[in-house]
Amino acid sequence: MNIPAKHTSIKHRATKHKAINHVLTKVSLLIGLMFSTGSMAQTVSGTIIDNQGNKISGAKVRILDSKQQVTTNKNGDFHFANAPDKSLELHITASGYAHINQHIALNDGANVAISLARSAIEVIDVKATPFHASVMEASIPVSVLSGEKLRQQQASTLGDTLEKQVGVHTNFHAGVASTPIIRGLSGPRVMITQNGLDVSDVSRVGPDHSVATEASTATQIEVLRGPATLFFGSGAIGGVVNVVDERVPTNNTPFGEFILEKNSVNNQKLAAFNVKNGTDSFAFYADGFWRESDDYRIPEPPKSAASNEHHNKVENSAEESNSLTLGASYLFDQGYVGLSAGKLKREYGIPGHTHGEEETHEDEHDHGEEAEQQVFADLEQNRYQLIGEYNFDDSLFSAVNFKASYTDYKHAEIEAGAVGTTFTNDTTELKVDLLHHPIMNWRGGISFHAKDTDVEAIGSEAFTPPSTQKMIALAMMQERHFDDVLVQFGARIERVTLDAKNVRLPHLEAHGHDETGEMETHDHGHEEETSELTRVFSVEQTFTPVTASLGVVWDFTEGYNVGASVSRSQRAPSASELLSFGPHIGTRSYEVGALFALNDHNEVTLNNQAIDLETANNIDISFRKTQGDVAVIVNAFYNQVDNYYYQVATGLFGSDGHDHHGHDHGGHSAGELPVYIFKSQDATLHGFEAQINWNINDEFSSSFFADYVRARLKNGGDLPRTPPLRFGTNFRYQLESFSAHLDITRYQEQDKVANLETSTSGYTLVDLGVSYQLPLLDHDITFYATAKNLTDEYAKVHSSFVKDIAPRQGRSLAVGLRAYF
Amino acid sequence: MKKTFKLSLIATLCSTLWLTGCGDAKTTINEKESEQPATDHDHDHGSGGDITIDSLGRLAISAPDSDQISVFDLDDSELVGQFSTTYAGSRITASAGYRYLVITNRENGHTGFIDGGLWREDHVAHLHDYEQAPATIDFHIDSSQPTHVVKHEGLMAIFNDGNADTSTNASVNLLTDENITAAKTDSEVITFDMNMHGVAEPRGDFILTTVRRDDATSTSSAKILPDQVAVYHKHGDEYEQDVIFDTTCPNLHGAAQSENFVAFGCGDGVFLAKDDGHDFDVSKIANLDNFDTRRVGSLYGHHSHNALIGVASARGTTPLLVTVDATKGAMSAIDWQPQTDAAPVSYGFSVDGDVFVILDNQGYLTLLKSHLHNGETEWEFASRVDFTQQDVSTMPDGQSFSLVMSQHADTAYISDPIANTIVAVDLADGDVTTALSLDFTPANISWLGIKNEEEHAH
Repeated sequence: MNIPAKHTSIKHRATKHKAINHVLTKVSLLIGLMFSTGSMAQTVSGTIIDNQGNKISGAKVRILDSKQQVTTNKNGDFHFANAPDKSLELHITASGYAHINQHIALNDGANVAISLARSAIEVIDVKATPFHASVMEASIPVSVLSGEKLRQQQASTLGDTLEKQVGVHTNFHAGVASTPIIRGLSGPRVMITQNGLDVSDVSRVGPDHSVATEASTATQIEVLRGPATLFFGSGAIGGVVNVVDERVPTNNTPFGEFILEKNSVNNQKLAAFNVKNGTDSFAFYADGFWRESDDYRIPEPPKSAASNEHHNKVENSAEESNSLTLGASYLFDQGYVGLSAGKLKREYGIPGHTHGEEETHEDEHDHGEEAEQQVFADLEQNRYQLIGEYNFDDSLFSAVNFKASYTDYKHAEIEAGAVGTTFTNDTTELKVDLLHHPIMNWRGGISFHAKDTDVEAIGSEAFTPPSTQKMIALAMMQERHFDDVLVQFGARIERVTLDAKNVRLPHLEAHGHDETGEMETHDHGHEEETSELTRVFSVEQTFTPVTASLGVVWDFTEGYNVGASVSRSQRAPSASELLSFGPHIGTRSYEVGALFALNDHNEVTLNNQAIDLETANNIDISFRKTQGDVAVIVNAFYNQVDNYYYQVATGLFGSDGHDHHGHDHGGHSAGELPVYIFKSQDATLHGFEAQINWNINDEFSSSFFADYVRARLKNGGDLPRTPPLRFGTNFRYQLESFSAHLDITRYQEQDKVANLETSTSGYTLVDLGVSYQLPLLDHDITFYATAKNLTDEYAKVHSSFVKDIAPRQGRSLAVGLRAYF
Repeated sequence: MKKTFKLSLIATLCSTLWLTGCGDAKTTINEKESEQPATDHDHDHGSGGDITIDSLGRLAISAPDSDQISVFDLDDSELVGQFSTTYAGSRITASAGYRYLVITNRENGHTGFIDGGLWREDHVAHLHDYEQAPATIDFHIDSSQPTHVVKHEGLMAIFNDGNADTSTNASVNLLTDENITAAKTDSEVITFDMNMHGVAEPRGDFILTTVRRDDATSTSSAKILPDQVAVYHKHGDEYEQDVIFDTTCPNLHGAAQSENFVAFGCGDGVFLAKDDGHDFDVSKIANLDNFDTRRVGSLYGHHSHNALIGVASARGTTPLLVTVDATKGAMSAIDWQPQTDAAPVSYGFSVDGDVFVILDNQGYLTLLKSHLHNGETEWEFASRVDFTQQDVSTMPDGQSFSLVMSQHADTAYISDPIANTIVAVDLADGDVTTALSLDFTPANISWLGIKNEEEHAH
């Protein structure tokens, strides 16, 4: 215990802990006003110093269970004139230091001295959970990408932006769409949220569907690894990625950021800004970006037979997007309430997604025709968010947080100049967290969550029938410190209904192929008319997933902790996993949902087996060294998933739903897709993540990381597209106005592959970046240059659906300017 | 009060949730009537499981000087929807795929849409027909003086004349039914640098459109009428001008397409552009000697043949009908044997293109059929149907019969503002039946529904 001698009355807990200082949901003012506010107050003041006694300016001091927060001045001093009249808990954060919680007894708050320990890993609080959480303090593993790091790593797609985060990989989709893979899980198991609210797109059902959010205007991106259904429900059984921005401003501190960048590999041009300003009671926010890129360059033409490309570019990988978001808040002593509206537009090519004449002979087409056969997506999303927070001083409840959103999403896939398929998603969501004052030293609250989602796909790729999903949930979470041990637990019960009025079971003219690629039977064309009826069903499903979790963090000695978290999470399978029936070009497969099954005669019929919840039983253990020049975080997990929904290759082929003009190639005819059917079986995923940061001296720092996941079915067999073992190192040199960093990442070969999947070779990526802060008056303007894939390595991403036709970008150089005001 | 309410809400929620049992999953599947296999004759696509609807379709009917549009189901003669348009006195027509009613208001620069509720989607693996209640949709287009709406093979071009008074230039919006469904906002594909009373003919990846030149250069006597034709070609997402033909077409008005030709009516003849797949060869057929002051100002064509019909007219004269045999490059007069005082009010091709009908103000529908004459195709009088028992002299002021051709059956629908009925004329046997009896006076009618693809395959 580090107890300053002059202040013996202060119990100093130099450990991190979680508290409920961040509340993500919004406030209903009406509910808030019914609680009285206290009138008694005390003064609390003091100084924040480091271990050597140096004063720390710019540290943030917050009184837990209230909204009061101050920042220390250049002498490290802070002052609360009007602190609640009771014993208090302060939460202190400062860049480069470990977070700390400090207990202050009633009327003992004058001239407090609080010392912070250095941390070699930047500690930033997560905003996604109503519990306070950070990389060093949480019982579940979290990480935050923000500030300059975020700017260095931001890409045009979310998966690519986050791929250097430990435990997170990308399903790289030719730079135009990608989604994060957390510990080997993705799709309907990883929830993407914007300020804690569902991003509401269709990126969970297709790897070629872009995530409708943007990194260049975000302030931080948070990753919760492992089950987070407690806070987010069914879609978060594998983890959560929360994109945070200040679109509903929480304060009126003036802020402005501008970015201009140009990248050589795809001639990408990016301009982005985000600004905030305000008056006493009002804060205003705006952000926007514009980006345009051409097809990207690769080191050499794809080596695969699946590709027709003969040049060093991935065709149809160009992108163009822009967005504008406006927001405003009303700020008052007890909280804030604000509204935002944003529009995002994105147009991108979908490589490997050619329709119609799948193979064209060079002598038969000119460039015009070729362009017409390429498929591109035209995405538009309108998002409205209402977010508020109201803090009470004296009552059972300390705060209520309120969040609501309406999102209207649409994306059209344009084939040969005409709309082939239109996907829409209309989502309305409401989240209310009601937090109580400590009861017998337990902090916590209850959370109410409701979401309505209407998803529809119309057109040639309408492989899932229109459906409506409604979810309501109630959750409770509590935490308490027992000396050096923090205990957290929570439970959530959810009701999910999924209604689809017209689920179709067409007679699938599927057939196998013999070894020579000839069709087994059928002397007629495989698309020949059949006289079979299409059966139609109305399907109503009700799921009641329940989640319970218990976590413990023990500060067993100063500067170290160990954590353990045990959870049992349930998930309702998604509409596409259950109801699909049709060709899905994005995954190059003919998808059949779990509602159906293959009988002995290779015919698809209704599944006689019950449709069950997927249940993940997860154990997470972490060890952390939190202070000093060396920081260490090691996480190990074991996740046993019952009824894991996955796709099984049937060996049959179905029509891809497009008009084709001849050409047999490979083992099957053009216009055919392998039929995959969703089944459920128990699966096990286990692995680890490790991070070591070493601040060698004030200028030099280095880090090392590694992650690994093994994902297999209980009855044998590996899950497909599981990222390989990865490790890497990072060196950083930092002067006052100059910095440089060198990242080296090694991806090992992945040979643990699923049936019919091919293994992928390993590769090493080297990135180098420099930045220089221009000496221009008081303005903070930084010039930067980043070179990626310096060795021009030909790198196929195992977790990508298009690994054979779209390897990673070749060597690239990006230069840009960043300005802060 | 509020607190109690809040708590009881939570209590209710808890009990509701727990009643169902934790960790439960319940699936209820009700089998509905199976979809009939389709009689899909399109062997290029095909595959089992077409879902088709056999419907006579729907009629959208406007009322004179009113903003009301009524939509009737022709299968059971029932009113299925009633709508107010944004502006009274708008013109109505069907969209290129006959799903939407297109409501243009020239004066107010507004084009709105009503979803007729009956449509077909080609899911490639199968056809899928949909039947829903008609509905208004928010999507609309604001443009300057939208006037001629031309449809061809799934594409619809709206020509906005622009306005010299406000220095607004002419433009063209191009929309498919899918674009309307998707509320495509950037449908304006061509903008000109002048206003004009023009027309655009969409054809695959091409749009043939009128071009107005400087008044000093223009060969038109009415300068607002264009005198040239240009081809625009689709490049990626945009239409770019390929060529402006040198051959002029003074006082251009009226246009139509046939199997291989796009025709424009000129003061001095008919301008023809022959589609050879990549570009267009142009030619011109001169006016007939008996035209006097008349000129072809309206043209009708059908995609199944190249025998177009032109209406040559001039103020103060009775119109002459001509066959424009585009293949032969020849024009010939049609004797449609009109009754006394009969003046045509509307024309149309049957869905299969075999019959051309002339609706006249005396209450007759004249049917023409084509014949070969010395190697030239000519349209000739075939039969006449007396479709109304009313005294046509009692026609309300400003009203007239109006005509629309069914795209489902060989039927012409005619509105009768004297009897307040809609009659259906069977073009095969001339039978007249009352399709709808109305409690209002019909003005214009449009047919909406699922086009019978079989008809034109013959």
